[in-house]
Amino acid sequence: MDRFFEALFLGLSAGATYSLVALALVVVYRGTGHLNFAQGEMGTLSAFMVWWFNDKGVPLLLAVLFGMAFGFLLGAATEVAIVRPLARRSLLAVFVATITLFLGINAYTSGVWGAPPDELMDSLFPNDPDDFVRVFGTIWRYKDIGTMAVTLIITGLLFLLFQKTRFGLAMRGVASNTDSARLVGIPTGRILAGSWAIAAALGALAAVLVAGNQGQVTPTLMVTVLTYATAAAVLGGLDSPGGAVIAGLLIGVGEAEAAEFAPGWIGQDMKLGVALVAIFVVLLFRPSGLFGTAKVERV
Amino acid sequence: MSLLDVRRLRAGYGPVNVLHDIDLSVDDGQIVVVLGANGAGKTTTMRAISGIIPCSGEVTFDGRSITTSSADAIVRAGIAQVPQGRGTFPELSVIDNLRIGAYTRRDGGTSDDVERWFQTFPRLAERSDQRAGSLSGGEQQMLAIARALMSRPKLLLCDEPSLGLAPIIVQEMFHIIDSLSKEQGIAVLLVEQNANLAMDIAQRVYLLETGRIVASGDAATISADDSIRKAYLGY
Repeated sequence: MDRFFEALFLGLSAGATYSLVALALVVVYRGTGHLNFAQGEMGTLSAFMVWWFNDKGVPLLLAVLFGMAFGFLLGAATEVAIVRPLARRSLLAVFVATITLFLGINAYTSGVWGAPPDELMDSLFPNDPDDFVRVFGTIWRYKDIGTMAVTLIITGLLFLLFQKTRFGLAMRGVASNTDSARLVGIPTGRILAGSWAIAAALGALAAVLVAGNQGQVTPTLMVTVLTYATAAAVLGGLDSPGGAVIAGLLIGVGEAEAAEFAPGWIGQDMKLGVALVAIFVVLLFRPSGLFGTAKVERV
Repeated sequence: MSLLDVRRLRAGYGPVNVLHDIDLSVDDGQIVVVLGANGAGKTTTMRAISGIIPCSGEVTFDGRSITTSSADAIVRAGIAQVPQGRGTFPELSVIDNLRIGAYTRRDGGTSDDVERWFQTFPRLAERSDQRAGSLSGGEQQMLAIARALMSRPKLLLCDEPSLGLAPIIVQEMFHIIDSLSKEQGIAVLLVEQNANLAMDIAQRVYLLETGRIVASGDAATISADDSIRKAYLGY
């Protein structure tokens, strides 16, 4: 039973970072209908900025805010300069562009910061050897609890943004019917750039958490995370922030338990497969994901 | 001085020009109808006035040129459009559809207006939390009109409100538009294929044919003119 809880907790902690990136993907998808494959790498680049500020003497928490602001601007600039002109031509062009951006940022960070990495980063949370509590006899480290807490807080804030603010209403309007959104006077361009900006700031935060967990920033920091996060976003239903969070946690726990209890034939190497099989089965029966809205239209 | 004055309006899609020097005007509180068949350029006219597609010529509203204004500036100037095919936000609830209609307003009177339109359209009030996409065609059209009125426009543009609705609902719709205009003093520019009903509530009529205005005048004069009636109205 201890092993179960141990794996459960580690799974939740890893899942929380998948959830954050999945949330970023959902914000972009809801706002603009695109899947941003560069979401993870944009986060990695922001994390390198955080490391750079931190290295220059800026306190870590402040450096994280700078990094998120950098992500925010990077996201807005990506939408305005790359996504918007291409989206007029075809969705596929945007798809290819985000993959190009993924490869481009990855090559850039590898080239500039390269291997072997010496970009060390502390966790945002207390992370000394004795910074943990015991729950059900298992060790819960503060940094993992912190990661989960941040994810829950961000989820709550996003919910408020979507449901309770004028900007959120406009975002939902643009996602639902862009033409009508323009006809009620919503400056759609600003809303779209805003969606990408918020998503990239979230991605920056997620990347910092992942970097803090592993103790350093590397060019491949977010590659696996993005794979899990994309799976989580699809599983949760691409337009559902709550679904993205729950699916991210489920995937995190699922892979951790599978690796723990079937080390022989699944183990660390095959655990991604478990998540993907589960997603395949769910999508067979619920094509719009666990919590996504099926399109309803009457003519 | 007309509320809306359109001179030599040209607009189209890419290299294809659809409208060829359209002239039309709408006075304060007036209902004006543009009649035309499919492809005559009715929707293009509406989209050009609303700033959804670029146009050339001269569009003056309330004494100011809006020819090159952005769509959101045009809404703030006081023009609201009910687009063809309802144009509701299907994934949003009925009440959010109304709230989003007041997006350009900063006066805090949104909830009073929601209440007011719920009284005018009780069926929308009953379905307040339902998603707009699940409403019937007639209900969606009412929602689209109420949504447009949430911005407190001086001019309401209605793009074929009768499209795809049962005749009895169409009658109700025109009755609603007529009384809105009379009671609130809102000017209405209506484009329609449904000539009979539209002419009943209109003061002025334009006939649009392949991007050109071919006849215009008082509703009474146009409907009394046998040759125009036969050629364009088909009865």
